[in-house]
Amino acid sequence: MTDQKEVLLRVEDLCQYFGPTKAVDHVSFDIKKGEVFGLVGESGCGKTTTGRSIIKIYNITSGNIYFKGQRICAGTRSYREAIKAARKELRNCSDEKRKEELNQTIAEKRAEIRKAKYDHKYSDREYAQRLVKETHEKYREMQEHIKSPEEAAKIAKEYKDAVRVAQKTKLITKIQMIFQDPIASLDPRMTVREIISEGLAIRGIKDKEYIDNKVFEMLELVGLVREHAGRYPHEFSGGQRQRIGIARAIIMEPELLIADEPISALDVSIQAQVINLLNELRERLGLTILFIAHDLSVVKYFSDRIGVMYYGNMVELAETEELFAHPMHPYTRSLLSAIPLPDPRSEKKRVRIIYNPIAEHDYSTQKPTLREILPGHFVRCNDAEEAKYKKEFGI
Amino acid sequence: MDNILEVKNLKVSFRTQAGTLKAVRDISLDLKRGKTLAIVGESGSGKSVTAKAILGILAGNTIIEGGEILYDGKDLLKISEEDFHNIRGDKISMIFQDPLSSLDPIVKIGKQITEAMLLKSSTNRRVAKKEYDSRLEALKKNMYAAEGSNHTGEIDELMKTFERFCLEGNHLENAYNIAHSNAEDLLGLTENFLFLAEKNQPQDVKKSLRDFRTRLGKIEDPFLTREYKPRMEACANDLSRAASGYNKKENNIQESVAEVQKLDALLKEITEQTRPDFFSIGYYKLYDPSANLDQPVDTLNAKAEAYINEKFLPRFTQYEQEGVKYSFERALGKKKDVLGKLKDAREFFAKDFTQAEAKKVSKALCAEIDESIDELEYIKDSRAYTFRTALNNAIDRYFLCLKRNPKEEARFARQTAKRERLIARGKTVTWKVVPKAVYSKEELSGNILQIIDRMNEHYDDLVRQSDQVDLTKRTNDLTNHLKKTASEIVYRVTKSMAKEKAIKLMDEVGIHEPRLRYNQYPFEFSGGMRQRIVIAIALAANPDILICDEPTTALDVTIQSQILELINKLKAERGLSIIFITHDLGVVANMADDIAVMYAGKIVEYGSADEIFYDPRHPYTWALLSSMPDLDTKEKLDAIPGTPPNMIYPPVGDAFAARNKYAMQIDYEEHPPFFRVTDTHYAATWLLHPDAPKVEIPKAITDRIRRMTERLEGGAEK
Repeated sequence: MTDQKEVLLRVEDLCQYFGPTKAVDHVSFDIKKGEVFGLVGESGCGKTTTGRSIIKIYNITSGNIYFKGQRICAGTRSYREAIKAARKELRNCSDEKRKEELNQTIAEKRAEIRKAKYDHKYSDREYAQRLVKETHEKYREMQEHIKSPEEAAKIAKEYKDAVRVAQKTKLITKIQMIFQDPIASLDPRMTVREIISEGLAIRGIKDKEYIDNKVFEMLELVGLVREHAGRYPHEFSGGQRQRIGIARAIIMEPELLIADEPISALDVSIQAQVINLLNELRERLGLTILFIAHDLSVVKYFSDRIGVMYYGNMVELAETEELFAHPMHPYTRSLLSAIPLPDPRSEKKRVRIIYNPIAEHDYSTQKPTLREILPGHFVRCNDAEEAKYKKEFGI
Repeated sequence: MDNILEVKNLKVSFRTQAGTLKAVRDISLDLKRGKTLAIVGESGSGKSVTAKAILGILAGNTIIEGGEILYDGKDLLKISEEDFHNIRGDKISMIFQDPLSSLDPIVKIGKQITEAMLLKSSTNRRVAKKEYDSRLEALKKNMYAAEGSNHTGEIDELMKTFERFCLEGNHLENAYNIAHSNAEDLLGLTENFLFLAEKNQPQDVKKSLRDFRTRLGKIEDPFLTREYKPRMEACANDLSRAASGYNKKENNIQESVAEVQKLDALLKEITEQTRPDFFSIGYYKLYDPSANLDQPVDTLNAKAEAYINEKFLPRFTQYEQEGVKYSFERALGKKKDVLGKLKDAREFFAKDFTQAEAKKVSKALCAEIDESIDELEYIKDSRAYTFRTALNNAIDRYFLCLKRNPKEEARFARQTAKRERLIARGKTVTWKVVPKAVYSKEELSGNILQIIDRMNEHYDDLVRQSDQVDLTKRTNDLTNHLKKTASEIVYRVTKSMAKEKAIKLMDEVGIHEPRLRYNQYPFEFSGGMRQRIVIAIALAANPDILICDEPTTALDVTIQSQILELINKLKAERGLSIIFITHDLGVVANMADDIAVMYAGKIVEYGSADEIFYDPRHPYTWALLSSMPDLDTKEKLDAIPGTPPNMIYPPVGDAFAARNKYAMQIDYEEHPPFFRVTDTHYAATWLLHPDAPKVEIPKAITDRIRRMTERLEGGAEK
């Protein structure tokens, strides 16, 4: 069913290295339009880094990220490494034909790097140019049907504003992020109105009335009231601050919302309020959400598909029901066995599965890759393990 | 008497700019020995404040309005800061929520763990000596009294003997411990050496081998190394030979590795020997003229034990038991007397009284109560010990407040009049009149009566249960207690011992390669590891009570369950009593024996874990349970609307009423009392009143409980 849906975000071979640390290592996944994609794993496994790489807080090391079919991030390291390897071989190579081939590879890779750099830098500009073009066409049509000079003046003004907005629009603002800590992520010296409308101001909208209306609309949407617009963040409780964070994100009319542990820092009773709010917004605005969390009960409740990350790698990816019914990768199993439940009798009997990657896998002969074991259910494994998993499920 | 800590009617508020914030409003808790009590609630419900009050670390703007916290014969709210130094960290430890901010960023982990051990070493000895002397004195007194005058000589001799050999045995043990920890230290180093050699990592072989040799020489104790002397010498020689034979350029490490392996095996044998029974050996060494300590440990143990059992223990135990029995019966008789006196005192305080009279009565009563304390009881009767301070405090407060009341009234009237005058003149008045703090006479004398009533009730219980007391067990407990304090008196912590202990602790809390990590800084650890270090520091002093203030909130699922398992394991191993503070009911299910649900500074429901999870009664507990999804939740979550109330102006009636969809009219008018559900299960909600309308528990919870029981039964069938 989900297969027919349009892919909104495609992450291909994403690598994010910080010096020698491989925070994210060859991670690939798709997010389809309208779904909630949960990303779970322990702290330090790279799930937050993945989210941040997607909105270009970091420059990615290698790999590609496509949003609405347009490449928005591209890393060059894989190409550079290929060039380096080719050069090294070239130095000791005597075969003319091989030399020719290698030279050609180097040239190809160089072209790729140029393309990647261009896309990485100018994807927003290209998007803006396209928008400007569309605006021009729209208003050209409208100008043809002008009847009175007043209308002409009005349309001319609108036209000018629309072009300015289109020029300043960035593709990346279609992806918005909600941060974990609602206290640290709001500027204490700005009023709620300023916080929420800042994105619009940057986009070039100058119409005060329009901005105010939009802010009020957003406040009401997230369950706050208009009067709150003039206040400062410290006057709000944790749950309300998180609502402000959400309002700030959705005012940009994003198509993809990256929620980075939006409820971890909140009280129990407030957590449920925020989850319900996100659920409601998703239905009303048709949002696609990348939901990053470590609380598996919440992720299960909220997500359509779940990706499990471990030390920078995606180890398992499946639809929620499928993942919880048939966890295959030993790490997923250990993760599922660690969920605390509000049930003392079964809790006392609970056996936690301990995951020890060294004892669990033998990757000396063959390196693992992400493979599809059941339809839509991917597991990181090598040939031997693939056979083992398949046998377990009788395929 | 299995409550290790009792909190009674605790009231705490904070002075803030906006007014007095009532953080804790009259809560009572019991922590049972060896059990876990969980306090659950939202932030601002007063759960952390309670924990901090127990530990005496409340902020400067705190007002403790009343109540008591009883622990080990003391009221923690009334003891001095000096006395608290002996309790905080030693007897009651705390694990804080944020592992990052509770560690010093610029001090190495090892130092942070051993710091307290080294600093507290001499204080602990002093405290133990005091305790030991007073107990022995009391025991002697009671033995005299029990046996009459004709046995005094024998008793004197026995007591002196006990004291002498107990300390002697502990001196021997201390020396043994130092040697043992040296051996373990060296064992750790050799293991590290072999590990590096196996991985072909560079290391200074020559220096290491020479270091091993000197360290090996330091392992010296007649009991530990008796059989290994020749082998150890041979090993030392081999090490020197290997060190001189090693050449860095050729890297001929094989020989050295072989030698170190030999050493490693030897050390393992040494450290895994059976421990000598120093209590018996101390006696054997001092009093058996034919004592020969130069024997294998097992035979020595057997011999010493046989000797002490033949010559000393039966006599001593008999006298001790007599003493304990005498002391118990004397105290019991006194207690029966005191019950009558308490009644008289109650009548006296119920009427009007002058300060001099009250002083006289309270003095006489306190003397009686002090008399009625059984000094030989291993677990101190906190209520009786703190009676004097509690009563005197209440009486002082009575007179102080009565004296202050008219002044307060006058001030209030003056200020109100001034304010009204200003307003009448048409000025804007920005200040408010501070509300008057006037106490009624009934309330104040009520406090006094409450203390007496509680004492009365307590003694009544004790007298009624007096035939269930097992005196043999009491005697054994006392002997063990004496042994333990004696060992604490001579226990000297050296740096290497502290290090060994720290490394053992780090290993115990699940930090891998503790020896390498000992010298690292906090920033080199991940969140879970840091929390483990915090736990290790908390456990370093062997506390009785561990307070965990949201220890896993900052951690993720796998680490969380590891830490919880760790705390549970430590609880079982060390017999810890734990107060576990959290807002996550899922976490509590695994940990708690008893649960107190707090809201707005009050306990709203109190019961065992099973009762809270399978039969919750308070709407707030329902809301907490149903607001979090579990793995089977599909429907919309029952979020609790609104936010907790502002505790500067606590609502009249039930504080949860405003967010409660089951609230009735009375909830807004009067605070519900505790309604009993079972003997261990109480809930403060008007819904349990016989006249209340019947209310269904939310469907989400009944469904979940049904699922849980089904799963449980399914599991049982399997």
